[in-house]
Amino acid sequence: MVGRIRSLFRALTGRDDFEQGMGEELRSHIEQYTDDLIRSGVSPQEAARRARIEFGGLNTVQEECRQARGLRFFDELVRQSRYAARLLRKSPGFTITALFTLAICLGANLAIFAVIDSVLLRPLPFPNAGGLVTMFNTYPKAGVERDGSSITNYYERRGRIPAFDGVALYRLETAVVGEAGSTEREPVARVSPEFFPTLGVDLRMGRGFTEEETSVQTDGVVIVTDRYWREHFGADPHAIGKQIRRDGVPATVVGVLPAGFRFLSSQAELYFPYSSRPEQRMPSERHSGGNARQMIAHLRPGATLSQAQAQIDAQNATLERNDPQAKMMADAGFRTLVVPLHADHVASIRPVLLLLQAGSLTLLFIGAVNLINLMLIRANGRAKEMAVRQALGASQLHVVSEVIVETTMLTLAGGALGLAAGAAGIRFLTVFGADQLPLGREIAFDVRLAVVAFLGAGVLGIVLALPVAWFALRGHLANAIQSESRGGTASRAAQRLRHGFVVAQIALAFVLLCGAGLLGLSLERAMSVSPGFRPDHVLTGQVSLPWSAYPSWPVRLAFNENLLSEIARQPGVSEAGLVNNVPLSGNSGKSAATVKGHVLRPGESPRGHYSYGVDGDYFKAMGFSLREGRFLTAADSRRGERVCVVDEDFARYYWPDKSALGQHLFEGSAASKDSDAFTVVGVVGAVKQVGLTEEVAQGAVYYPYALRTDGSLFVVVRTVVPPESMGLTLQKLVRQIDPRLPMSDVRSMDARIGNSLIAQRSPALLTGLFSAIALLLTAIGTYGVLSYAVSLRRGEIGVRMALGALPRQIRGQFLALALRLLLAGTAIGIGGAWLAGRAMRSLLFHVPPTHLPILAGAAAAMALVSFAACLLPSHRAARISPMEGLSHR
Amino acid sequence: MAKNADLLPGTLDMLILKAISLEQLHGYGVLLRIKQISGGALDIPQGSLYPALYRLEHQGLIAAEWGQSENNRRAKYYTLTAIGRRRLREETAGWNRLAIAMAAALNAAPQEV
Repeated sequence: MVGRIRSLFRALTGRDDFEQGMGEELRSHIEQYTDDLIRSGVSPQEAARRARIEFGGLNTVQEECRQARGLRFFDELVRQSRYAARLLRKSPGFTITALFTLAICLGANLAIFAVIDSVLLRPLPFPNAGGLVTMFNTYPKAGVERDGSSITNYYERRGRIPAFDGVALYRLETAVVGEAGSTEREPVARVSPEFFPTLGVDLRMGRGFTEEETSVQTDGVVIVTDRYWREHFGADPHAIGKQIRRDGVPATVVGVLPAGFRFLSSQAELYFPYSSRPEQRMPSERHSGGNARQMIAHLRPGATLSQAQAQIDAQNATLERNDPQAKMMADAGFRTLVVPLHADHVASIRPVLLLLQAGSLTLLFIGAVNLINLMLIRANGRAKEMAVRQALGASQLHVVSEVIVETTMLTLAGGALGLAAGAAGIRFLTVFGADQLPLGREIAFDVRLAVVAFLGAGVLGIVLALPVAWFALRGHLANAIQSESRGGTASRAAQRLRHGFVVAQIALAFVLLCGAGLLGLSLERAMSVSPGFRPDHVLTGQVSLPWSAYPSWPVRLAFNENLLSEIARQPGVSEAGLVNNVPLSGNSGKSAATVKGHVLRPGESPRGHYSYGVDGDYFKAMGFSLREGRFLTAADSRRGERVCVVDEDFARYYWPDKSALGQHLFEGSAASKDSDAFTVVGVVGAVKQVGLTEEVAQGAVYYPYALRTDGSLFVVVRTVVPPESMGLTLQKLVRQIDPRLPMSDVRSMDARIGNSLIAQRSPALLTGLFSAIALLLTAIGTYGVLSYAVSLRRGEIGVRMALGALPRQIRGQFLALALRLLLAGTAIGIGGAWLAGRAMRSLLFHVPPTHLPILAGAAAAMALVSFAACLLPSHRAARISPMEGLSHR
Repeated sequence: MAKNADLLPGTLDMLILKAISLEQLHGYGVLLRIKQISGGALDIPQGSLYPALYRLEHQGLIAAEWGQSENNRRAKYYTLTAIGRRRLREETAGWNRLAIAMAAALNAAPQEV
């Protein structure tokens, strides 16, 4: 077999040599035979004649030799390709329309597929990708769906869950890295010693972390990525042992990661050991996960996810038996969930991506239907030629292969253009935030995509060829020879097929339009949600105060005070405040608060609430509204008095019929001594914490900054000038106070809101774009079919005109045809839109999956497009002169 | 001249392999050699020789090489490959079995039944 393929390959690649050799061999045979005949006494002329006759037809022999080599198929392919290319060149209008349609439709699909491929399909880039899982604690009845994993969880689980052969804890955070004056705030990670072995990643240099390095006294080591090693150490092979300053404290480089290593979507270049103090590992800390600490594990070969889940459940049950908080945790619905790491990481984006792929596939269907119709019309023009050729003996196989060669050639060329369009499309998608998706930075245009493109194009070519081939073969030779030439109208089957395709096209475009409408309306409704504060003219930015340089609260508060007074002195600033985290920053965390005197109702569990530490005039700067009492001010932070402000959701939940002012609450999940209680001094309006589309009124508590044990710090400034113009001033101010401190994530609140809507905006805009293209394609399709219908019936119309028909009647006839197609398409489309709406329900915001005004709007748009598309053909029909009826015959 | 026998289907390939197994030959030589070794009884239609040669080469049973002919012409010479040799052995054995069986069957007299 291999030998035969090699022989065919040699014959194909050395085709000229093959032909020349064959010719020479056969000629020399005839010459030798002629010589032998002459030698036996035959006259030279007679000898040459006899030699040629006995040899037989030279062409036939050569053809048989080629066939013996398996070359015939290729010869035929080349011949048919040339023929198809000639036909396509002869009708440039059709060819350009077809190529353009294919390029757009395939390009859109390829671009979306590239995203799906790199985000959803491709395994994570770790050797152990197959069995990686993540675990998190969940307290659904307390309103806390995810709470990561605690340090205690990690020490209790590692080595004790038989289904895992590796358990690791990590935390993604930021740190100030570098020497004074050139510090940068950089994303870093803290990981337990098993982290890299669990992923299956081997270091390219150095060693991993040891157990000793998980104590806070001896954790001054760091593993760097390959990129960091190249950029900061110039790929120095002796980089091990060098030092990096983190928050001013030196850490020794002990290892370098392999090239291309990136943990999920994290941009961390520096990995520090996950060190902790003994008291952080106590059972009492078991439930203090917080969403920042995450756990990964690798399933032992042969172990299943459900085994792991059962073992974790069993362990939790055993451990909780001795937990004083067990009852409360059980009431909160505590469980630890084990889920595949990859699926979990991309879960939020999966439905959106699938929706977009469905949208682009619909577009491809519409485009394909359009092409089939255009090709059917073309085939109709050649029906007579086809019939004559079949009558003269062309085989059915020949006719079919000719059609397939033509369409495949078209789709392959379209596929190549589509690849180019797809490459541009991927760049276009980054504008829509594709690189901000989980794993979005891995989106690549590669060989895999090209293979998919050409396979897809090949399959599409065959699919497109089927109706045309069927049409060409439809037996009725005599019929075809007569029909559509003299007198006869379009053959019924072909006409019905064409009309059916237009109906399908209208239905699909209608569905796409409805989908885009639903997403657009969701976006509009999400955008019109008030965030609860006044986002205009607010600039925010993050400063991180390292604990090493600012080790105590008085020092940190002094910095705050200094910074606030510097900012207040700037022209253009009206109010300034500080907060540990701004709303919509994407890292809002919930923690427990316990209201004094609140008795849990049966089935009620302690609730998690958003909690913040504020300093300066935070509320005024952010534009909160005051419902009752007063705001917290800088003075509250200085005095250190235990007061707090709650939001209206919180107040309504705990004190539905009385004032919240003067009430007391404790930070944490249990009441303690009265001197620790916070007194509520004000109630503010509720704000959106995570995104504008959040619906759960979880409640929030605002403490004086000094009383929140959280080191992070955002500056919030209300300006009278455009907020972005203050960015540099603010950064310079911070550097003036302490040159080691960078300010990062400087953005206006308007920009943060815009960014938080990207999950709504991008799909809405993309489906909108798809529907616009779909409308255009439908218009082209409808126009093509109708104008062809008119051209087929010129003769008939002419006769009717001659017999007294009015142009109005002729025009009405074609308008009625368009209307029939439109109605049928819309009717089917409504069914499709109903299904599509239900399928995309999870992506809608305050919009029902079946929304009448959107259906009506889509129907109106389709009507408009159909009407526009049939205007010209019907007008042309109405202007056919009676003379044509005669001359046409 | 002896009466020409008709060529049975499938036998041409066997004859070509046999002819080439004796000596390396060019196409016309194969024709002459078959005529010679069959005692002039087998005459091969000249046009069908070359498709058969190309097919055998494609199947890897024979190999071709350009060389000089006896009268100093460039000619394509065919030799038997290892696979071709094995095939010839098998086919010869098969043919002999068939021929013996056929002869025995056709020579059967009434009293032997």
